[in-house]
Amino acid sequence: MEGFKLAPALLLVGTLGLSLLVGMASRTRKGEYYLVSGRSIGRMGIGAAIASNWMSAASFLGIAGIFYLQGYMAFAYVVGWTGGYVLLLILMATQLRRFGKYTAPEFVDARYDSPVARCVSAVITILITLIYCTAQYKGIALVFSWIFGLDYTPALFLGTAVVICYLVLSGTLGASRNQQFQYGILILSFLVPLMFIAKQLDYFWVFPQLGYGQALRDLANSPQGTSLAPWSSGTPYQWIALCFTLMVGTAGLPHVLSRFYTVPNLRDARWSVVWGIFFIGLLYWSAPVYATLARISEEINGATLNPEAARAMADIIVIKASEWAGLPSWLTGIISAGAIVAAFSTVTGLLITGAGAFSYDIYYRLINPAANAKKRIAVAKGATLVLALLVVALAVNPPWLIAQITAVAFALAGNTLFPVFLLGIWWDRTNKYGAIAGMATGLVITFCALLLGPSVPLIDTLLPATSSALLGAPLVILVIIVVSLLTPPPPEHIRRFLAEEVHGP
Amino acid sequence: MASEQDSTRRDDNDYRVNFFRPRPGFMRQKVRYTWILLILWAFFTFGFQFLLVLMQDTPAGDSLITNTAIFGFPLHYWFSGQFLIIWFILLCFLFNVFVDNLTKIYRKRN
Repeated sequence: MEGFKLAPALLLVGTLGLSLLVGMASRTRKGEYYLVSGRSIGRMGIGAAIASNWMSAASFLGIAGIFYLQGYMAFAYVVGWTGGYVLLLILMATQLRRFGKYTAPEFVDARYDSPVARCVSAVITILITLIYCTAQYKGIALVFSWIFGLDYTPALFLGTAVVICYLVLSGTLGASRNQQFQYGILILSFLVPLMFIAKQLDYFWVFPQLGYGQALRDLANSPQGTSLAPWSSGTPYQWIALCFTLMVGTAGLPHVLSRFYTVPNLRDARWSVVWGIFFIGLLYWSAPVYATLARISEEINGATLNPEAARAMADIIVIKASEWAGLPSWLTGIISAGAIVAAFSTVTGLLITGAGAFSYDIYYRLINPAANAKKRIAVAKGATLVLALLVVALAVNPPWLIAQITAVAFALAGNTLFPVFLLGIWWDRTNKYGAIAGMATGLVITFCALLLGPSVPLIDTLLPATSSALLGAPLVILVIIVVSLLTPPPPEHIRRFLAEEVHGP
Repeated sequence: MASEQDSTRRDDNDYRVNFFRPRPGFMRQKVRYTWILLILWAFFTFGFQFLLVLMQDTPAGDSLITNTAIFGFPLHYWFSGQFLIIWFILLCFLFNVFVDNLTKIYRKRN
């Protein structure tokens, strides 16, 4: 690793400090802010909130990394993570909102009326949190190691310490997340440096997203001859399985639309999703450009990396693209600060969700129903810390790329929560036995793919760990249907509520 | 919201919810739109990849499609990397227009 970089370090501290300050400012004006929020921030503002909630290290660093290594395969991520919103909007979002339950355990409990099902879904939520956070930690550690010139492991510890400090500080200061502000920071720190890189390398720089076709063709025609063929680094089955998994996974993670459920007007909420996809699209249109321009710089500098070094570099290729193009250190620093903001906001959001699932759905509902609010908050805080430290253990030596680790979390959501939501909303006969059997099957499928894949070639081919939901989700749906039909129907009042309230006009 | 309307013609099967056998009225209309959008969603996303496979001349997938350039991009890069996102935005837009219309029609009847 190279040495300590001053400008990026200052930018990082400045950005984190600024987002804390803005968070505090949003809180002090909270009363006023809430009264007018429905009108004042508007559909576009809600869209920006949805996008900032969504953007993590996987979007910011991961997609470009996959594109750098695997070309066309990366579009499975781009398409999967945007197309999933269509599925969520047209199949589930309005109905979930009508249901009035926005976390997976709460929905499962209300729909299936079963503490066991609630507990299983809470465990799944926590597992998703852990896997998802592992990817974020990897991103944080790589960026910290670049900024501070540390090795991966010390950078991971430093990053974790900063994450925990940030959590505690924003908790004690009562800083809420100002998501519009955050989206602004994220997208500017992604798009502006990209324009500079494109200009530096003499490509169309006003909209590099529209102009990198030329760069792609230059790569294909270069002596190295990068292949642009669609299946050059993955089979069509792998592409489709991955894309489908990410789509159903998105639809199975209802928290991604949390803003959707808190806006007073349902119509505004629906329309805000259109803006949300557009804002997410801005980033996804741009990520491949970073990877392409990084390849171009490599060609120009005549320093093509061997596959192993390229793989190690892939997850910070966004930063390397800027460095290799010879941009000043502060511009590269802007990208790194943006990446940290994306990872931090995702980690804090996820840890709070995971800890909430533990303290409320498992501890309060099962272990100690007598616990008062104060005790529950204490447990939630403790759980946040435990989860934050557990993730470190997982992130010490992750064998995969950031986007791939994240995809495993989506596979888990797609194999377990997606079928339970889908059938729970669209088939009133689904009962708790079906839901429990389905979630258990989904867990087995996901972890079979994850743990047995490396040793059993058949599983590796049919159920890649990142993409197990193409076969997994339909199988789980089948299990739920069969088990539900073999066991008594759910209570009438739930079915009536579903028909009259949830599916009413 | 729907209770007044439903109470006039409620029978035993009136509160069954099934995506494949939606109740007449608002729900049936909405499910019809959902089907249309789901088909447009799947056809463009996965249909295009199948087309790539059908047309391919080499195992890596080189074909007439991949050799065609559009806006300076190989066609498959442009389609999956740029157009599909626009397509998804359009689908969500259409869904909202459909549902807005439906809601207007069925709320008036109450």
